[in-house]
Amino acid sequence: MVLYIIGLGLGDEKDVTIKGFEAIKKSSKIYLEAYTSLLGGSTSIEALEKFYEKKIIIADREMVESGCEEMLKESTENDVSFLVVGDPFGATTHTDLVIRAKELSIPVKVIHNASIMNAIGCCGLQLYSYGQTISMVFFTETTKPDSWYDRVKINRVNGMHTLCLLDIKVKEQSIENMCRGRLIYEPPRFMTVNQCIEQLLEIEEIRKEKVYDQDTLCIGLSRVGQDDQQIISGTMKELLDVDFGAPLHSFIICGDMHFIEKEYFETFRVKKN
Amino acid sequence: MVNFTIDQIRAIMDRRENIRNMSVIAHVDHGKTTLSDSLIQRAGIIADKVSGDMRYMSCRADEQERGITIKSSSVSLHFEMPKEDKLPAGCTSHEFLINLIDSPGHVDFSSEVTAALRVTDGALVVIDCVEGVCVQTETVLRQAVAERIKPVLFVNKVDRFLLELQLNTEEAYLSFRRAIESVNVIVGNTEDKEFGDVTVSPEKGTVAFGSGLHGWGFTLGRFAKLYAAKFGVPEDKLMGRLWGDSYFDATAKKWTSNPQSADGKALPRAFCQFVLEPIYQLTRAIVDEDAVKLEKMMKTLQITLAPEDAEIKGKQLVKAVMRKFLPAADAILSMIVTHLPSPLVAQKYRCANLYEGPMDDECAVAIQKCDPNGPLMMYVSKMVPTSDKGRFYAFGRVFSGIIRTGQKVRIMGVNYVPGKKDDLFLKSIQRTVLMMGRKTEQIEDCPCGNIVGLVGVDQFLVKSGTITTSEVAHNIRVMKFSVSPVVRVAVEPKNPSDLPKLVEGLKRLAKSDPCVLCYSEESGEHIVAGAGELHLEICLKDLAEDHAGIEIKTTDPVVSFRESVSEESSIMCLSKSPNKHNRLFMKASPISMELQDLIEAGSDISSKDDPKARANYLADNHEWDKNDAMNIWSFGPEGNGANLLVNVTKGVQYLNEIKDSFVGAFQWATKEGVVCDENMRGIRFNLYDVTLHTDAIHRGGGQIIPTARRVLYAAELTASPTLLEPIYLVEITAPENAIGGIYSVLNRRRGIVIGEERRIGSPLFSVKAHLPVLESFGFTADLRSHTAGQAFPQCVFDHWASIGVVNKDKKATEVALATRKRKGLAPEIPDLDKFHEKL
Repeated sequence: MVLYIIGLGLGDEKDVTIKGFEAIKKSSKIYLEAYTSLLGGSTSIEALEKFYEKKIIIADREMVESGCEEMLKESTENDVSFLVVGDPFGATTHTDLVIRAKELSIPVKVIHNASIMNAIGCCGLQLYSYGQTISMVFFTETTKPDSWYDRVKINRVNGMHTLCLLDIKVKEQSIENMCRGRLIYEPPRFMTVNQCIEQLLEIEEIRKEKVYDQDTLCIGLSRVGQDDQQIISGTMKELLDVDFGAPLHSFIICGDMHFIEKEYFETFRVKKN
Repeated sequence: MVNFTIDQIRAIMDRRENIRNMSVIAHVDHGKTTLSDSLIQRAGIIADKVSGDMRYMSCRADEQERGITIKSSSVSLHFEMPKEDKLPAGCTSHEFLINLIDSPGHVDFSSEVTAALRVTDGALVVIDCVEGVCVQTETVLRQAVAERIKPVLFVNKVDRFLLELQLNTEEAYLSFRRAIESVNVIVGNTEDKEFGDVTVSPEKGTVAFGSGLHGWGFTLGRFAKLYAAKFGVPEDKLMGRLWGDSYFDATAKKWTSNPQSADGKALPRAFCQFVLEPIYQLTRAIVDEDAVKLEKMMKTLQITLAPEDAEIKGKQLVKAVMRKFLPAADAILSMIVTHLPSPLVAQKYRCANLYEGPMDDECAVAIQKCDPNGPLMMYVSKMVPTSDKGRFYAFGRVFSGIIRTGQKVRIMGVNYVPGKKDDLFLKSIQRTVLMMGRKTEQIEDCPCGNIVGLVGVDQFLVKSGTITTSEVAHNIRVMKFSVSPVVRVAVEPKNPSDLPKLVEGLKRLAKSDPCVLCYSEESGEHIVAGAGELHLEICLKDLAEDHAGIEIKTTDPVVSFRESVSEESSIMCLSKSPNKHNRLFMKASPISMELQDLIEAGSDISSKDDPKARANYLADNHEWDKNDAMNIWSFGPEGNGANLLVNVTKGVQYLNEIKDSFVGAFQWATKEGVVCDENMRGIRFNLYDVTLHTDAIHRGGGQIIPTARRVLYAAELTASPTLLEPIYLVEITAPENAIGGIYSVLNRRRGIVIGEERRIGSPLFSVKAHLPVLESFGFTADLRSHTAGQAFPQCVFDHWASIGVVNKDKKATEVALATRKRKGLAPEIPDLDKFHEKL
């Protein structure tokens, strides 16, 4: 039978496409991937279950990465839906799932939806002029991964915008628990725009390659695609203490702007008061 | 009859040049504690009469009972040099403060000695002249030199030569010389330039002879003074003539190095004629009850006995007379103040060994100068139980600055890293006390160069740590122990509801002993690990009686093993991260035993070395590829163990971003090996290749750490994993007729004799053997019953030896499976498939 990999979009339960909805309806089991992104704030698993009139199984990281055999076995006999917030290939992790399904000769059907990668167009910067997307992970006292800095540099040199996806930590284990194989998790954490700016500036301070500074123009976004989405533009310094509210947050470092882009940008400009 | 006050002592504490910090070290039963008693008695703390039988420094009931020292203890002595004596260089007055630490002689308690050595600058090495240098003497001497502690020697129990063994003077001289030579062999072969020459010799005045039990002793200086006028030779010159091949030709009235006089008669050695002969004659006169001769001699030597001693006879009289003639305390104390360094002198060369930080920061400079105006730097070397149950004095040495009651200080534990906040506490000192054997005296403050106890610090430190007022201070280096806790037992309360008390008790036990390890296993068992059977016995007794105050049940002792490998991994091991986007390739290979030992000793190579210097060293001495040696990522477990993680990849992107995760996994994997959860030892893990996802979020710790651990395990499993067991070096001293019994006991216990020699000048034999720790339980009792109680073993951990390849050799596999079972792990050794994946 078929393994459907279905994008749920960014908003609430009603963002699913009709094609996706039909697939869910005829599936015997439905899994929801719950760690690379978050369900929209206005919706919940209960709301999904009610709307689809189906029971949903939560698939966390362990389940998808280490224990997906069961799900794949299931799909050799019945239709199975695997729900992903956003678009199935927004988060690379799922290509592995497709490969494994192919190895078992299970037909896979992908139903696309909106992802942060395209919805980001809402801020007015043209999708054509984005460079490489980077992920900003939480720094710890000992590790400060900064390989993204080089990519921001390439983007900036070529005048391209940079989309920064911000780290989310759901069901993460501490190093000790991870090593001992104990399934004890740390409380969930989401990076805010403010933290992202701090880390950006921290690395600039270390590398000093003048890729950007606190006067660089940028845009902070939160809960894109949801009813209460928020977009605020300004310099890094200006956005450093703006409260963007509940997760998830995204961030854009602007490249060279077309005049229309510039005009659009000004409409979101942070109020100076 | 205390003849000085605390105020007096406190006053000298400010005069750094007149302070001597010293420890008394020796083999078990060579008479340290008895000798310390006579020194304390001289300072007037205990009465004259009981000295020799009192054991002032043994505070614990079991110490007094068994007649051995278990814990080291410290006392401050006030010593006034005779006014006519020449002051040692740099000293300003005839009054001295001697901080003396008596340490245990049993090898199981060596960690106490280490803690004592750390806070002192000099050591009084006591040797039984009959037994000579024994294992423990050797161990502690080596440690002393490594810590840059200057030794002086006391050849003890000379009375046994006279009274028991009846050796003639020349024989006595020869065995003295042998004892001194064997000490010099140990301390002499260091290449430590800054520290200089530390060999001891009688003519320099750094060796004293005598009897701690009888309270007499002398250096050659004592006799040189006696004869200086008679021969018309200056004292210093005469001292040289009273030792070695030096003879006095009475007829020619000439000193010569020829044992024959001008007219062909054999000459007695000067040392025998002028030093030993008077002592022998005096003793003989008393033992033979030759009252006339005794009186005559006493008159010439100007000995007058106290009226109450007039009645005594025999050995008691020998003691009384000799004590008047050659008081041991005076001889030893003046040897100490003359030849051992003051903190002012010693800290100059010890600083580099002590301080972890750069040698030019404010703390290092203050330590080097022993500067009371500098920032406070104090090292806490151990915890001493107070009368208040469960609380401890933090015992240590102030290296710079002044520590005061109520002062705000930074308390830095062993895991403190400068600039971070881990293992750091900001607290104030509740009280400072002076440790006086079993008593303490409160003092207001304590300047640098002194040894002090602190109240109110114990709950912030586990066993040791650094206390400072400087924000930039680094730690003072952690002590390296010569023993390791290889014997362990599981404990549980008899009454299950006492468990909280047991847990609390274990915490206290861990504090009270520098070496003991208390932890809990995955299976929930509480483990106590000690250096040997005796050490463990004492720890468990303390735990039951003092720390927990409950009845406890213990399992049979078990031994720690180490997991190692014997070959290079047979295949290239690969593990994929959970999301399959990252792949790690690795092989394991063995590290040479020699290098393993060096890493564990931490002397020539350690994790803290400069990588470049370390790489040069490894390339020059251990045939490492220099490039590989430059890329050692980590030592493990605990960041300093004898396993290495080496990055041999070429041009891998983002590698430095996963380094931390990898090192974290390496630390855990080396701590709990795949075979049976024991520490690993002697494995070099080579990271050959890594393919990573381009985005940081997909190669975070959650992806890398479990994967790295799996690939490390796979590498271990494919490299012919072996188990190592600890081996003791046993030294057994016994009379000849007991040798047969010793051999049969050793044979039955897989012991291998490595040497047997007769102790010249005594009827004793000494047998040295290697004995697996596994076979050592009940060894002492077994040995005694087979030799009619004549043989006494001393076991000291020596090395690790392989017991075979796991899954191939029966013994190793059995041990591994039994260990897994005991720890409550899955009964089978895990399969390679769990860790290694195909491409």
